[in-house]
Amino acid sequence: MKVDDKYLDEIFDFAGQWDMPSKCGLKIIAADSKNIIIVTELYQNNPGTSVTYAGGSLIKQICDSKKLDISNVIYLECNPNTFSKLSFYDEEFFQVDFELENGLPIKLKYRQLSQEEVKNLLS
Amino acid sequence: MKVKIIYPKWKKLPGQTTFNLPPHGPVVFAASLPDYVDVSFTDENVEDLNFDDECDVVCISMMLTTQVKRGWAIADEYRQRGKTLMFGGISTMLHAEETLQHADSIFLGESEGRMENVFNDLKNNKLKKVYNFMGNQPSIDLVGPARRDLYKRELYNHKGVQMVDLFHASRGCRFSCYPCAVSYLGGRNFRPRPIEKVVEELATIDNNRLFIVDNSLAQNSEWEIELFKAMIPFKKKFISHTIEDDPKVLDLAAQAGAWYVYQAVYDTSDYIRERVKRYHDYGIGVEGTILFGLDNQTEDDILRLIDFLLSIDLDLAEFTILAPFPHTKAYDDLMRQGRIFDHDWDHYNAGQVVYQPKHMSPERLQELYEYAWKAFYKEETQEEKMFKLFTKVMLREMNDGTFRPRNRALANKSFGKDVVRNINK
Repeated sequence: MKVDDKYLDEIFDFAGQWDMPSKCGLKIIAADSKNIIIVTELYQNNPGTSVTYAGGSLIKQICDSKKLDISNVIYLECNPNTFSKLSFYDEEFFQVDFELENGLPIKLKYRQLSQEEVKNLLS
Repeated sequence: MKVKIIYPKWKKLPGQTTFNLPPHGPVVFAASLPDYVDVSFTDENVEDLNFDDECDVVCISMMLTTQVKRGWAIADEYRQRGKTLMFGGISTMLHAEETLQHADSIFLGESEGRMENVFNDLKNNKLKKVYNFMGNQPSIDLVGPARRDLYKRELYNHKGVQMVDLFHASRGCRFSCYPCAVSYLGGRNFRPRPIEKVVEELATIDNNRLFIVDNSLAQNSEWEIELFKAMIPFKKKFISHTIEDDPKVLDLAAQAGAWYVYQAVYDTSDYIRERVKRYHDYGIGVEGTILFGLDNQTEDDILRLIDFLLSIDLDLAEFTILAPFPHTKAYDDLMRQGRIFDHDWDHYNAGQVVYQPKHMSPERLQELYEYAWKAFYKEETQEEKMFKLFTKVMLREMNDGTFRPRNRALANKSFGKDVVRNINK
């Protein structure tokens, strides 16, 4: 399954559920007020846990690894275009809002973004 | 050391014919235990569980999400009685965090080559809470014959007819399908067993009829061809999932004893129609597996699909409703969108709507599912269609001299229980 790499600058290795070696696409856009983190699900090229299931743990691992202030990021999950005929593999973006408890994101809330919102955020 | 392996019961779907097949996971696990372990096995689907049986350790093996709540309840009871309780199996891996709350230890991954250490820890009072081998599969060469000697054979018998034996020739799957968690459980690599190992195990199975439970045999043509060639001399008949759509492979599969296959029917295309026809051309029956509730299905799509099924000469059909099992893309998508409204694992039986479908109400999807069963089996019941398939396999067995008459001593028993016959006097 080919994955669109348009929102992906690097492959980020992370510890998934039960420390399973896992991979996702990662792009970080430095913005004036908040850094924007985009993680991309790699499907068959991810041997471990999905970015959604990894959830708060992945956010923390990225922020720790990239030395970002976890309390000051905009975190986006991208289901990339896979060029599949199946509509549930179309491109989708979700903004993930969360609270912090002992430095770990909890109570993740997902909001699907429109194409317009994605464009505005990334421009 | 006495170990009791338990396979918890689950509630069967209403209105459907239930056949209890001898479960595969527990006896594959049992084969990986150290030699000094004295093992017994209870399948709660066919016999009552006796909590007073003497044992040192209880191992609960769970395959389905609909088993987990019962598995946890059994565990709680045994732990109250002071027994050491371990969990393993597919749904232990899918529901690991919750299962951990009911266990002394959970085993995540495949057990071959690992249980000697686990039992050493147990003997030394150093049992770990979690044995985590996720993503770290043992060599497939280590998989030996399953411990089918643990089955109480008379319990897997319906009116004298022995149920098929489950068997696996490979693990893992290179595909990662939308509703499926296999890629999470078994890695994204197809791992075929060496043919000599398959042959070694086939030779141990005292049953002419098998269900090859591999996710899909159509993953490596060269191996698939060698597998079927190796199976021909055994003259067994088998059910399996998809076989590669290639004349040479289909011909060999038929010679190897392919009885019928499960084939996903996901649209009304000529490709599906021709696929079913090609199986039939080689004398292989087809049970269509039809999944309802995907986001790309409208009511009209489902109704068209049901009409299509009636026109393509399927031998059997099995309808399911999308169940968003943990660690599937379906789960991720529906969870993010806040569409899962039922979190009772007993309801994740693929016959009950637990989420808000995109194009209809949950109630309407449930109605369409029930309508599909009724419409498909309106002219001929499921039992009648099954009997036709059964007749075909009997005739093939009679032709090649492998037919075994049913066991008359069990003619009045069905899965260990007395058959109640409605005979008007």
